[in-house]
Amino acid sequence: MKQLLIYLGILLFILTSFNSYAQKGYRIEGDSVVFSFDRRDYDNATNEYHKERVSFEDLNIENVVVSGEFNNWSTNNWYMTKVNENKYELKKSIHDFSDEFSWEFKFVINNSYWAEPKEMDGNTVEAVKNGLRLINIYNLKMYTAYPDKNGNAIFRLKGYVNASEVIISGSFNKWDVNLFKMNKIDDGWELKLQIKPGVYQYRFIVDGNWMEDPDNTHKIENEFGEYNSLLDIKEFIAFKLRGYHAAKKVILAGSFNDWNEKDLVMEKTYYGWKYVIPLSYGKYHYKFIVDGQWVLDPNNPVIEYDEEGNVNSVCMVK
Amino acid sequence: MHKRLLFLVGFLSSINLIFSLDDNSISFPKAEKLNEYTTRIPFKLVGHLIVVEAEILNAKGNFVIDTGSETLILNKVHFSNLYNHQKKNSQTSGVLGFTDNPYEKEVKEFVLKNFKLKNKTSDVINLSHIEKIKKIKLLGIIGYNILKDYEIFIDMHLNQITLSKVDTSGNKLDKHVYLEKIVDSINFKLKNHTIILTGNINNQKLKFGLDTAAEFCQINRTVNKKVLRYFIPKKKLLLTGVSSKKIEVLAGKLHRLKLSETLYFGPMHTILANLNKMNEAFGTDLDGILGYDFFAQKRTIINYKKEKLYFINYPLYTR
Repeated sequence: MKQLLIYLGILLFILTSFNSYAQKGYRIEGDSVVFSFDRRDYDNATNEYHKERVSFEDLNIENVVVSGEFNNWSTNNWYMTKVNENKYELKKSIHDFSDEFSWEFKFVINNSYWAEPKEMDGNTVEAVKNGLRLINIYNLKMYTAYPDKNGNAIFRLKGYVNASEVIISGSFNKWDVNLFKMNKIDDGWELKLQIKPGVYQYRFIVDGNWMEDPDNTHKIENEFGEYNSLLDIKEFIAFKLRGYHAAKKVILAGSFNDWNEKDLVMEKTYYGWKYVIPLSYGKYHYKFIVDGQWVLDPNNPVIEYDEEGNVNSVCMVK
Repeated sequence: MHKRLLFLVGFLSSINLIFSLDDNSISFPKAEKLNEYTTRIPFKLVGHLIVVEAEILNAKGNFVIDTGSETLILNKVHFSNLYNHQKKNSQTSGVLGFTDNPYEKEVKEFVLKNFKLKNKTSDVINLSHIEKIKKIKLLGIIGYNILKDYEIFIDMHLNQITLSKVDTSGNKLDKHVYLEKIVDSINFKLKNHTIILTGNINNQKLKFGLDTAAEFCQINRTVNKKVLRYFIPKKKLLLTGVSSKKIEVLAGKLHRLKLSETLYFGPMHTILANLNKMNEAFGTDLDGILGYDFFAQKRTIINYKKEKLYFINYPLYTR
């Protein structure tokens, strides 16, 4: 027991030094882990389903839940207790954790908003230009991209080492010619952006001169007779079917693979069945085929008729 | 003889014109046609504008869905070419001034895939300022005179609008349109083309116009102070309207709007504005405009004929 505690302590110490998620939010008391949430530590929250960021002051907190790998990122399991108007706590015995866990977790407000720690908030920082707040700062949240060192898209431009400034401008930031400055690296320029799924066009601006991305073969002619580079940002979507433990074979079929009835064989998990697939922006119809029987996704209330009058589950990637 | 020839040429060119107008029909290449009555058109959000892709005369571009607009509006920037093309035609055939008022145009057919709408009038206005700000090619604006014949489901979850044809009393001709449950509804009054909702903030009764193309909600400066207590200003904002004039306004959030005992809203991005001029122009007496945030918070179905809104819940958890 003691050993586990020490191990836990060391692990926590190491993780706190690396992991921004874990920098605050819990402490060890005896053989308990106490999660604590203070709303004053957070500026923004991201909505679970439409991914929109909202300000904390707009959130009427009804409940706070701890969600992490240790409870399969459940948003309605580990409810915290209200201590005062700002603070919530939850005490858990270390027996609730296996010793092979990862300590990534987040707090979830009202079962649907993920609290974003302040230091991860690259979004608002970028809105300041020349020390002035941009007039359309209000619009910034509407952009589908923002610089983030853990972003899902890395843009690199090789060479041009003598250039004094390289900007990336595209349909993801309404072709703003100032906002996304690239960083100088050894043999060129680089910028990481977090971008919502979608097909985007972009170009580089090297010291005022526009150019396409020379390393990207996907491009489209623009109205000036030159080319814009094309980029399709996809998101990994996990399709899950809970239950059906006795089934022998479950297939995922949908508009994303032309309703192929063989290709996507789902993997058996402890909760049921799972298949992860990268999808571009858009709406997809899908169903599961459980031992030859077509079934709707019982956990998805969003359903639609297709053009033949069939009823399908619907998944939106955006 | 000469006159008769001219007449004949004129007659032929008028046929030509009608044909070319037929070619001017608008189609939505990405629409899903479910049956003869119902079509779903995916939209994208440009800023907070609901924009659908359309094709006209082989040109691809965008239309804004706008319940705040009375008619179909075509963007002069792109449709002046159309006139040049027609003028050229009529010049070669020696008939001049065939096109009547260049600022009003009969769209003989407005096609939503196989949906045909005939003889809709449209205004032709220069919308280049919106194009400049939004960096999109805007062919025009789809307004009330197109939308009123359908029940319209504006779904900000699936980013699509569903248009389903209704009869004169507002009943859908297609009985199987939605599978998701309608959880609430509310009546509205239609004043000319404006959807008017009554609601309250801080026990003060208020009248709101519902406008799909209002990127921010608006509240009139002249409303009761008890209402303004729930408008929390945050910053000043420069706005551009359809009239292309820039104005500085106070922007913030409007809290605690209730439209009924069951229908209430979270904080909405709102600007404090002077709506008196607009009220004069539209013959309304609105205290505010509800726009993007309304639809972002409620998946909304509009039925103009029944003067009713219906609501479908956002899924809490989809996967």
